[in-house]
Amino acid sequence: MSGATRHGGAGRRRKGPWAHRRDPPGSRPLVTPAALFATAVLVLAGSLDAALPSPGPTPRQAAPQDSATPPPDTAAPATPSPGSVADRRDAELDALTAEVAGRFRCLVCRGQSVAESSSQLAREMQREIRERLGHGETPEHIEAFFVDSYGEWILLRPPARGVNLLVYLLPAAAFVVGLAIVGWVVRARRPSEPIPESSPAPDLPDDALDPEDRAWLERAIRGDR
Amino acid sequence: MRAVLRWALPLAALPPLALLGFGLTRDVKTLPSALIGVQAPEFRLESMYDASDSISLADHRGRVVVLNYFASWCLPCIVEHPELVRLRADYDPDDVTLLGVLYQDVPENGRAFMRRHGGEWPSVVDYDSRMAIRYGVYGAPETFLISPRGRIAYKLVGPLDAHTAPVFRAKLDSLLAIGDPGAEGHERLESAPSPPP
Repeated sequence: MSGATRHGGAGRRRKGPWAHRRDPPGSRPLVTPAALFATAVLVLAGSLDAALPSPGPTPRQAAPQDSATPPPDTAAPATPSPGSVADRRDAELDALTAEVAGRFRCLVCRGQSVAESSSQLAREMQREIRERLGHGETPEHIEAFFVDSYGEWILLRPPARGVNLLVYLLPAAAFVVGLAIVGWVVRARRPSEPIPESSPAPDLPDDALDPEDRAWLERAIRGDR
Repeated sequence: MRAVLRWALPLAALPPLALLGFGLTRDVKTLPSALIGVQAPEFRLESMYDASDSISLADHRGRVVVLNYFASWCLPCIVEHPELVRLRADYDPDDVTLLGVLYQDVPENGRAFMRRHGGEWPSVVDYDSRMAIRYGVYGAPETFLISPRGRIAYKLVGPLDAHTAPVFRAKLDSLLAIGDPGAEGHERLESAPSPPP
């Protein structure tokens, strides 16, 4: 590495974003406690919103039903008997079955829900869900039935209580802690006072550096190229 | 500030490391069962040997029931089969009933499996895995230990082999040692509020 590049590098660092700031010492840090707090609140609110069960079907949950139940005039090309009540009920039941099956972990595969899996057990669970829905059971009843047999482990989105809360809160907490650490590091690296444009070279003991290095360092500090 | 960071960074690494340590020290063969200690779901299913005959759990009240899910296509079932034959020979049929449940298979294959590997005990066919879903079954083989009162006392996921069979037998023996309440006592206990397991 040549002296010129080192010099240039040093010069850029000195003339970096901090050097030109004219803020008085003790001015607003890059990451203020208020900003940190606001971020934490937003993140926690987001994860809790995702975690807490809603009493009825949320708009997102209801969407597949709505989209899978087209108005009679648009259903005409797809179904042999357009608008027939039985067909529409079947389509609704299929959509609801898929939605409920999507809540359960496929037991014999990895990373798939019962709705996505084509394994025999998953297909039999889909049939069980469809039958129960057809008999008028609510998705919550069906969820309780599977939890009774397999435990909460089968739920892809475990209820946010007890130890399960860790699953929802730890990522948010880790994010906030990480943000705080980044903030600290950034503040710690920042010079506490702005560097004057023409600062005198610091006094160094004569024997600390070679004369050549010392001259280079002084030029670098002055910003000469 | 630097002093804070020197402590904060290792401290921040501790919880993930603790979680990792916890995860690595679990026994991967242990699967959670929500059914231990609860009343075994009742069933009446077609016999594997005679489609006109049916077998129910209630038929075996007052005895310890070893309920074994198996299939002819399942290799670990072949591995554990000799242990089941020994189990059947070692215990009095009046105390312990071994009951097979054919899982995701057809009766002809199940009968051929038993002919090929020996042993004979009552078995039922679980069409569409309806009973398996009620019993929280993941796959074959799985073996449940059901108390004379009809409670699920233990569940083994995977084959009965040199490692698991002694544990299973110890559970079975302790269940027998607790005592058999008998048919009449059983009736009474069924209607009474269930004691904690």
